[in-house]
Amino acid sequence: MDILLQFFINALMLGAIYALAAVAYTLVYGILEMINFAFGELFMFGAFLVVSFMLPQVSLFGVMVPMPGLPFLLAAPLAIFIVAGMGYLIERCAYRPLRFAPRLAPLITAIAVSVALQNLAQSVWGAQELAYPSFFLLEAKPIQIGGAYISMVEIAVIVTAAVVMTALHFYVKKTRMGRAMRAAAQDVEAAALMGIPVNRVIAMAFIIGSGLAALAGIFYGAVYLFAHPHMGFMPGLKAMVAAVLGGIGNIRGAMLGGIVLGFAETFGAAYLPNGSAYRDAIAFGILILLLLFRPQGLLGTRLPNRLADRGAMAFKGSASAIDAGLARLSAFFAGRDLVRYASWGILAVVAVSVFFIFPSPYWARVFVFVLIYALLASGLNIVVGFAGLLDLGFVAFWAVGSYFTSILFVEVLAKGYGVDVSSVWWLFYVNLLLGGGLAALFGMMLGYPTLRLRGDYLAIMTLGFGEIIRLVATNWVDLTRGPMGIRGIPVPSLFGYKLGSPVQLYLLGLVLLALAVFLIALMVRSYLGRAWVAIREDEAAAEAMGINTARYKLYAYSAGGFFGGVTGVFFAHSQQYISPLSFTLFENILILMLIVLGGMGTLAGPIIGAAIWVVFLEVARDMPFIQQHPELRFMALGVLLVVLMIFRPQGLLGQKRQPLMMS
Amino acid sequence: MTLKVENIKVAYGMIEALHGVSFAVADKSVVGLIGSNGAGKTTALKAISGLLPLSGGRITLDGRDINGLAPEAIVKLGIVHVPEGRRIFPRMTVRENLDLGAFTRHRDATVERDLGWVYELFPVLKEREEQLAGTLSGGQQQMLAMGRALMSKPRLLMLDEPSMGLSPIMQDKIFDLAREINASGTTLLLVEQNARAALELATHAYVLDTGAIALDGKGSELAHDERVRKAYLGEE
Ligand SMILES: Nc1ncnc2c1ncn2[C@@H]1O[C@H](COP(=O)(O)OP(=O)(O)O)[C@@H](O)[C@H]1O
Ligand SMILES: [Mg+2]
Repeated sequence: MDILLQFFINALMLGAIYALAAVAYTLVYGILEMINFAFGELFMFGAFLVVSFMLPQVSLFGVMVPMPGLPFLLAAPLAIFIVAGMGYLIERCAYRPLRFAPRLAPLITAIAVSVALQNLAQSVWGAQELAYPSFFLLEAKPIQIGGAYISMVEIAVIVTAAVVMTALHFYVKKTRMGRAMRAAAQDVEAAALMGIPVNRVIAMAFIIGSGLAALAGIFYGAVYLFAHPHMGFMPGLKAMVAAVLGGIGNIRGAMLGGIVLGFAETFGAAYLPNGSAYRDAIAFGILILLLLFRPQGLLGTRLPNRLADRGAMAFKGSASAIDAGLARLSAFFAGRDLVRYASWGILAVVAVSVFFIFPSPYWARVFVFVLIYALLASGLNIVVGFAGLLDLGFVAFWAVGSYFTSILFVEVLAKGYGVDVSSVWWLFYVNLLLGGGLAALFGMMLGYPTLRLRGDYLAIMTLGFGEIIRLVATNWVDLTRGPMGIRGIPVPSLFGYKLGSPVQLYLLGLVLLALAVFLIALMVRSYLGRAWVAIREDEAAAEAMGINTARYKLYAYSAGGFFGGVTGVFFAHSQQYISPLSFTLFENILILMLIVLGGMGTLAGPIIGAAIWVVFLEVARDMPFIQQHPELRFMALGVLLVVLMIFRPQGLLGQKRQPLMMS
Repeated sequence: MTLKVENIKVAYGMIEALHGVSFAVADKSVVGLIGSNGAGKTTALKAISGLLPLSGGRITLDGRDINGLAPEAIVKLGIVHVPEGRRIFPRMTVRENLDLGAFTRHRDATVERDLGWVYELFPVLKEREEQLAGTLSGGQQQMLAMGRALMSKPRLLMLDEPSMGLSPIMQDKIFDLAREINASGTTLLLVEQNARAALELATHAYVLDTGAIALDGKGSELAHDERVRKAYLGEE
């Protein structure tokens, strides 16, 4: 009984924190239908700022700087105020220019902002945890209720959250601006026609949302007693899940979703078998079940599908827009063949001569990584670039391929049956296909339930799937060896001749990449590719044109998954070692960014993006400033991508594509 | 109050929907804009209310350029647009919808009086004041959309297909109400597919055909025009 009460208190406290941050996601989503991934990072900034203000001195950029040492009750409002300002600036500079861009653009930008902020924090405060200084809430003695204890911090979290939520409820119900916010959330265009200054309302939603995220982060830090650049990542994702759980766009729903998630996580970790290991998977499991059975969320009402309405109205225009788009696509493939083949030829020559120019094994190894990223990016590009579906669980396919071949070779054949793996060298080549096929199957399984979902829900769902696969790889130790990873994976060989040197691996990878690009080009040029582009440009219109969008989305997932799996097999054998650390969401985001960098929806874009990035990483390693702050490279990439999305959304390489503007 | 639309062009991405459209709306008049589905009527209204940018031409109110202004600025100038499909705020009460109509007039003491007038025009809204707008019938929602727009005290009220999807009796009622609103001094720009009713009400009417004005004239004249009767009134 006492332990139950204790869990209850912990769950309520955790739920209150999730609820605060969930409201942030929901406020912005309600109006813009956009997931502002950056709230997780603003959450983290809240914690860092409050600690910095409270300490007498803090090391910033590695330099000790004196700080005011404010009391908590002053430091917290100040931190919230600053973070709210940051939220406003982000909206103004990064999102507002994209208000009428295709839906994918703001989502990708939000991810890039998130990456930039996270790495900025790491530059400023360093990669270590910054401990909370002691203050009155921490010093107060816990109160005993029955056999359970509740600390002052926990009381403060629960009470403050309740007060803030009540105030917010009052604000949106009773005040003029709050009402305008609700109106905009129900119908932005109609709100504008009533004379509601929509831009101001949106800015307000960002300001309030960012303040709430900061408050949640401050509390989270106070409970766990630290601030860290990555601290906002998981809670941010979970708050997003909580918002979806409650019915995204619905403020009361977000509060409820947060509390429900707090309870599910606390009690699940305590009572499910192996629950504490899978603690983080609980949220994503609930999410996937929810999206399958009640996609509108707990409190959400099933809205008339705006997409379908508009599709019917705008059908004629969009259909002809798509025709024009397809005609341009055909022209692209027919008319400029010569130029295109020539440039591919040059690329091939460069690729082959790379190891003559950089004969050192070191550089050959770097270029093996270029190929691995290029392969992954090419696979993901099918889903994101051609079919226009944001996939944040793509690394799962890579993991599936890697683990499949590693477990088969090392755990089953070598250890289980004592087979000399060099006698079954051909199995590597078979596994490329099997691993790819298995991943494609996973793609089908992942794609099937998400078909009915809109783009942003899809992004969260794939993200949940990817996280679950990673958590399984980390925790199912019997199968995957857990965090230690699998060692001793044999290098690829051909008739007993080992292809183990970096240059040999590079050449093998090059063959794989060439095959992949060839296959993808075939797909894209066929009816399949045209259907994908049609879905990307306007799903409703594509449906109305008689394209079975569900089926083609599934094809996109499985095709992307296939190349992810193939890459996984090659990756495992070329590195001879795999561990769950390779298959993180961050890696997924990075691959996505490389596609955007090179040019989404082009064949060469992912390759160029991968080459630029991996080579840059290596070159930058020698720069003294970067040596001190390696994370600055990622921050630069994030900032560069935001700039690209605004000024050159087609990427460095892509052809200028006339945006099809649909209100 | 005179609205002049001069040679405007509007495009969705690469596709031009209006290829140089001109018309004028005189003070206190009822101007009809008719044309078949996809002709560009809604696009024209959205361009006037600032939802869509122009790629050519100009729009003036009493000689002053209004193109390029934000929608809220245009509402403040006295032009309000009742969109196609009503677009009331479904999860807010009738009263909240009406209050939002007066959003730009928050320091205006006469709002209360105008609410009384709207309730007089549409008594059913008064009865259902506290009901969620999404639960109203189609005709009631149309009344709410019109009432909400009137709360901004417009000089020019633009109605986009107010009779769409309503029963014939309800359609007549909506047109009667439009007439009454006009009689009280509000200029009307009426977009309709129900051309017969629109031409009956309109002092002047324009026929829009695939993004260009094909014909214009007095409402009563157009109603007797051979081409209009064939194409838009379904007569032989
Ligand atoms: N959001 C949109 N995107 C692309 N094309 C559109 C959009 N809205 C309307 N169109 C196109 O513009 C043209 C005019 O449409 P509209 O103004 O709605 O006509 P009407 O109101 O006369 O029925 C049509 O060809 C329509 O397909
Ligand atoms: Mg229309």
